[in-house]
Amino acid sequence: MAKPDDTRAFFSQGVEENMDALYRTALRLTGSGADAEDLVAESVSKAWAAIDSLDDRSRFRPWVFRILHNMFISNYRKLAARPLASAYHEDSDEVLATLLNEQPDEFLVWWANPERQFFNEVLGETIMAAIGELPLEFRMTIVLINIEGLKYDEAAEVLGVPAGTVRSRMKRGRTLLQKALWQQARDAGLAGNDSRDGKE
Amino acid sequence: MTSTKDTHQHDDDIGCLEAIEAFYAYLDGELDDPQSIADFEHHMSHCRSCFSRAEVENMLTRRMRESAANGAPKSLQDRLRKLMDEF
Repeated sequence: MAKPDDTRAFFSQGVEENMDALYRTALRLTGSGADAEDLVAESVSKAWAAIDSLDDRSRFRPWVFRILHNMFISNYRKLAARPLASAYHEDSDEVLATLLNEQPDEFLVWWANPERQFFNEVLGETIMAAIGELPLEFRMTIVLINIEGLKYDEAAEVLGVPAGTVRSRMKRGRTLLQKALWQQARDAGLAGNDSRDGKE
Repeated sequence: MTSTKDTHQHDDDIGCLEAIEAFYAYLDGELDDPQSIADFEHHMSHCRSCFSRAEVENMLTRRMRESAANGAPKSLQDRLRKLMDEF
């Protein structure tokens, strides 16, 4: 059955406004431009078919991101040679204290060092590569909040988890990302290889 | 590293854990209470460890957004518009 013109106009506007963000997110999920395009196109088709289920039009953004996320889980993750899940227990009450103690002080010292300026010149790609290596739940949370600027409640809606879990995943994801960058810096000889992590 | 990170606390100050928690919330756009913002800023004005962590996070977030600033390619834009024309 044909949908009303105002629904068609609303949907088109919503897709136009979120097209870039959907593609960026799909790219971070699949790691492939071609797969990302397919994922977005299939998600938009599915969203249009399900548009009548969107009760609150102000929630279009988390709603369409949720469709994209679920589409990836259902159809694409078997193709993505990337970590999907971790064994991390994300609801620990002591999670933040644990994470702070995990962060290597050497990383902070190195970051404040003048040589970081050199590393900053190549850091963009390095950061994206490190994000791509994160387990899916942390990767997706960081992409939605840090890159696309979704609120915790929107990200929770996308991921189908409580907002507290989103907060917890952000903390864990940040720590994992910093540790990965620190390790890459050491491997590249940009940070002291003789220093000990002591947190592993 | 020990739990000494939570001892950089003055009498009128919040602790490191609370300061970092508030900073994360602020960075994520989830904290708009002026007093809470003033509290973590005050803490970081004298706690080098927390200040460094905040600097790292600020830098990472900025670099992340800059690096991921690519938009949808024209091929996808055309594909989606064609798709929506057919709906």
